[in-house]
Amino acid sequence: MWKVLSGLFLGWSLGANDSANVFGTGVATGVVKYRTAILLTAVCVVLGAYFEGAKCIDTIGELSRLSAQAAFWCGLAAAITMTALTCLALPASSSQAIIGAVLGAGMVSGAADFSKLYKIVICWVLTPVGGIVIAYFLYRVLSAIFDRTIKSLTLRNLVYTIGILASGCYAAYTLGGNNVANVTGIYVGSGLLTTEAAMLLGGFSIAAGVLTYSKKVMMTIGRGIVPLDPFSALVSVLAEAVTLHIFTQIGVPVSSSQAVVGAVVGVGYAGSMKTVSTRMLAKIGFGWILTPAAAGLFSYLFLRISGLF
Amino acid sequence: MILKKILSLGKKEAIAMEGINRHVTLLCDACWKFNTAAEGRNRNLMQTVIEMEREGDSIRREIISFIYRGAFLPYFRPNLCRFVEILDSVFDYLQDAAFNYLIAQLPESIETECNRVAYLNARMCEMLLIMLDALLNQADLREKKLAVRIYEKKIDDIKFSLIETVRKTPVADFWQGRVLADFIDHLTLISDGIEDASDYLEIISMSMRA
Repeated sequence: MWKVLSGLFLGWSLGANDSANVFGTGVATGVVKYRTAILLTAVCVVLGAYFEGAKCIDTIGELSRLSAQAAFWCGLAAAITMTALTCLALPASSSQAIIGAVLGAGMVSGAADFSKLYKIVICWVLTPVGGIVIAYFLYRVLSAIFDRTIKSLTLRNLVYTIGILASGCYAAYTLGGNNVANVTGIYVGSGLLTTEAAMLLGGFSIAAGVLTYSKKVMMTIGRGIVPLDPFSALVSVLAEAVTLHIFTQIGVPVSSSQAVVGAVVGVGYAGSMKTVSTRMLAKIGFGWILTPAAAGLFSYLFLRISGLF
Repeated sequence: MILKKILSLGKKEAIAMEGINRHVTLLCDACWKFNTAAEGRNRNLMQTVIEMEREGDSIRREIISFIYRGAFLPYFRPNLCRFVEILDSVFDYLQDAAFNYLIAQLPESIETECNRVAYLNARMCEMLLIMLDALLNQADLREKKLAVRIYEKKIDDIKFSLIETVRKTPVADFWQGRVLADFIDHLTLISDGIEDASDYLEIISMSMRA
């Protein structure tokens, strides 16, 4: 059972890293205080993991038939990669980390199936694209509705406040539902955990990361990438949540970081404004390439070294 | 805290906006009083304009402290506060103009034009009040803004003619000249302040829109 610890560690680092995608803009625009944001995120992540987690967990479980030992090392490799990137304040993707680690493990056993990689890469590409498209349409539709229906200044202020809170909670819910599979999915495949136990353990480990170590990345996402106005913040988080929800229903765990950056770019297109700093985007892009490569390397090395004893 | 904010259903914001409305209305009253006092050469009424500045000051403090106690999203607060501070500077110009009026000996050659500027200032202020009302209801501000700019242009034209006239007017000593120059300066700066305030109303309106 102790072999699940690496997965819990991965969940913790995922929570620390990805909670920024949920309330980063809300905290940066001053709608929500950091403490309130992490509490709401933690609760909604657990709920999302419990009610929606099974859909993606089944997919990961079927993809990776690892031994319990290999699952432990894969989880650890992905967790170390995520933690290192979090320390560097780089938004990393747990989906990329776990897939990188599984491929690294596959290289050791000689059973790495690179033929499935193209499907995964398609999903990685579709996530930010989905974020862009959904954010663009949401921006257009919601701005038309808001401008026509909300005629009072004070009411508009209230709608923005409630909207950012509600979309943040929804995004946290979908984050839990989608990403819990990255945390404990491999243990379901290796027979260490049942789906129900994986959903709960994964959800709580993500919540722990959110509550204890999420401030640094949250500020990077909120302030470093975009100085968003409240309406754009609302739309970008809502678009991210819808993107994650769609992929959850399909059963594919994807990156919330990629979804939110895509959404922010979509908001930029719709509002004819420059929303993304090129330097920060390059930093994120570097993190995206580094994540699967580093996780794969760690997993390969761990399994090689453990095989010596 | 956040729940409290939502459950208040925008009461704090409504109070802050009511304060801003009071501030602009007071400025409007002060401008009209200045105009009436200047036209009627009523020194007592001019004295009340100086006192109104203090009342404006206390309303400004009230609004700003209310905004920073949680009214409106932090994103909107700087522009709202800047608007209130611009109004306060207009009150300062008005107070200085009233004070200079009381101690200056206004030459007859410029009196009519000064009264005209005071009248246009009051009309501009009324337009600012209409703009504020339009902002509260998220209505279009463009036409009102244009009216403010037209008034400002008229005052600028009068200002240059006033300076030309006063340059040729003999004065008894340095202080008489200084006070006269200061009076014209402050009187014509009021419209600049009101124009800046109207710009900020437009910025607030744009930042609130989706």
